[in-house]
Amino acid sequence: MDFAFLATQMVSGFSLATLLFLNASGLTLIFGVGRIFNFAHGSFYMLGAYFGYQLSAVWGLPFWPAILVAGAAAGIVGSASEYLFLRRIYGRPHEGGFQILLTYCLILIFDDLVKMIWGSEYKSIAKPPGFLGAVQIGDVFIPTYNLAIIAVGLLVVLAAWWILSRTRAGRIARASAVDREILGCLGVNVPLTLTVVFGLATALGGMTGALAAPLRSVTPGAGIEIIIDSLIVVVLGGMGNFWGAWFGAILLGEVNAFAVAFVPEWSSLFSYIVMVLTLIFRPEGLFAPARIRKA
Amino acid sequence: MKSRKIALWIVLMLVVFLPSLGFAQEKVIRIGALYPMTGRSGLYGMDSVAAAEMAIDEINAKGGAAGYKLDIIFTDSKSKPAYAVRVAERYITEDKVHFLFGVVSSAVGLAVTEISRQNKVIFIGTDHAATELTLDNFQPYYFRVSNNTFQSMTAGALYLKELQKEKPWKTISYIGPDYAYGHSQLDEIQYNLKRFGVDFQLVSKYLPKLYEPDYTSFITSLIKDKPDVLVSGFWGGDTVAFIKQAKAYGLFEKMLYFHPDAGGNYEVMSALGAEMPAGLVLSARHHNNWPDTELNRRYVAEFKRRTGRYPTYAAEGAYAGIYAIARAVEKVGTPDNTEALVKALEGLQIKLPEDPEGFTSYIDPQTHQIVQVQAIGVSVPDDKFPPAKMMLGKWKVYKAEDLLPPKELIEKRLKK
Repeated sequence: MDFAFLATQMVSGFSLATLLFLNASGLTLIFGVGRIFNFAHGSFYMLGAYFGYQLSAVWGLPFWPAILVAGAAAGIVGSASEYLFLRRIYGRPHEGGFQILLTYCLILIFDDLVKMIWGSEYKSIAKPPGFLGAVQIGDVFIPTYNLAIIAVGLLVVLAAWWILSRTRAGRIARASAVDREILGCLGVNVPLTLTVVFGLATALGGMTGALAAPLRSVTPGAGIEIIIDSLIVVVLGGMGNFWGAWFGAILLGEVNAFAVAFVPEWSSLFSYIVMVLTLIFRPEGLFAPARIRKA
Repeated sequence: MKSRKIALWIVLMLVVFLPSLGFAQEKVIRIGALYPMTGRSGLYGMDSVAAAEMAIDEINAKGGAAGYKLDIIFTDSKSKPAYAVRVAERYITEDKVHFLFGVVSSAVGLAVTEISRQNKVIFIGTDHAATELTLDNFQPYYFRVSNNTFQSMTAGALYLKELQKEKPWKTISYIGPDYAYGHSQLDEIQYNLKRFGVDFQLVSKYLPKLYEPDYTSFITSLIKDKPDVLVSGFWGGDTVAFIKQAKAYGLFEKMLYFHPDAGGNYEVMSALGAEMPAGLVLSARHHNNWPDTELNRRYVAEFKRRTGRYPTYAAEGAYAGIYAIARAVEKVGTPDNTEALVKALEGLQIKLPEDPEGFTSYIDPQTHQIVQVQAIGVSVPDDKFPPAKMMLGKWKVYKAEDLLPPKELIEKRLKK
């Protein structure tokens, strides 16, 4: 096994990890701030991919602006869903069960809406010009578009770090995760905070979908397919732990990349093994700081 | 006042009795169809529904089959075997259907064939490809009107055998989804290569889960394996995702991509458009541009006219299934004599859009599997079927009889 191959496989794992993280980050953000388990998060990923298709392939908008607008549009749909539906079940006994059922219904509704609007044929977005080829470093071969995705992932990590730890809005978001009632007493509009956070998180999901569309097939049902892996990432990182999600995604991506290389027939098993072990021995997540572990 | 009351009564009587009078007089063949309408495989379900309706309209416009009009009910199978079984049972007990029909997923097909056997109601399989249905799980009331993976993998093995003479190759890798469909293609390509005495070595095999969204790690690992030929058993959107991701890595310049069961599906070409690489060796169960016969041209054009899109391979299976039912009922004269219909379907010949000049598809009486020609092509620029920018060309055609499993294998697997 030569070094160049190991390096290539590591970069493969990293590129997979970045898309996983971008999607899971929204999921974990909603959970962290609002204690909402959004099973439909994958549907916003799918919506983002379709919005991206509409904007760039049908209306001819340049690729990068199209990605941002697609993300924003998915976020608007996300905020609206929170405002119209989820908000009505907050605080019920057994809220968790209601959340799962309600967001599962959203999956079915969005799948059918997408089918009505765009039809059931597979759609595709072309890669942006300038990102069609690959760069070669020694024997290592990396498509430029995968590099761009990794870069976007790092940007999102930095931006999120800055917002969450350096701005007032970020502090409010973190505070609402700790104690919603006290925060409300302090005069913060908690429902509005939740709607905004939900919008941001689903916008992240939507942007990920649009960003992944040049590499994947855009179909109804695409949301269901990625929600499981995103969920594993969230569990590894600790439910609601934004940084944990990043490390969790990298761990999962690399485990996957090397399992494929060395034990190809059992590769899909490994991500589940890692998740099960985490759930048994570190249910708070592998990367949870001590403070969160108590809560 | 009184006359108004009487008029009301008459209207009421008409409303209540007229429809039933109509039913009593009309002779109908009732077909209960199951197709996925949601999720990823929804595309194949919708196309199958459109093509079945098209065939029914064509037949009914000419007066039906033996004086019977065809009538079909569609239900979403949700691609779930347990759910499909309940629908099939309801079709039999409540709707009193003469035929069960359809199914895209082999898992659903295997469940529904059991219901068909228990209730002695004929099940016409239009799309699912698992070979088991016409061998190991054979039952007398099941008939399949599209190729199974054994047939396409036999054609594939013959293609690779010829290729070895032109462009010597030695090693293959395999990648396909981790369920029955992906596993049987891997077994069948190896079985057939060995059967034809081809000297080859399988250097690696990858079985990612169905609907895996990211193949990056598989691609880099395949490039390291350096096979001469990559045999692929992907299905539907997975093919699209794999091709997009592998292209940037230059995988298609490093090995021959060979995908004889479903790689040449039209929806792959239409989704990829200009991104579809040239020189991939592919096939499908129906092609929009082959054979260039009057019947195929008319079928494709009529489907386009009705739906606004070109058909995927699944559509032709449904179209074939309806014609098989109509021909069998014409032979027997009634849809009510199931045993006679089974006899009529065994060996039945039907001229289909995918039949080239001089060949007519027929149902093998022993296994109830339709016997058809298979053409394998190479992706070449062709924009006659937009939004696809590449279609298959440079065809190699394999005779239907050459694609059947050998006698011993049929007998061995039928006995199981």
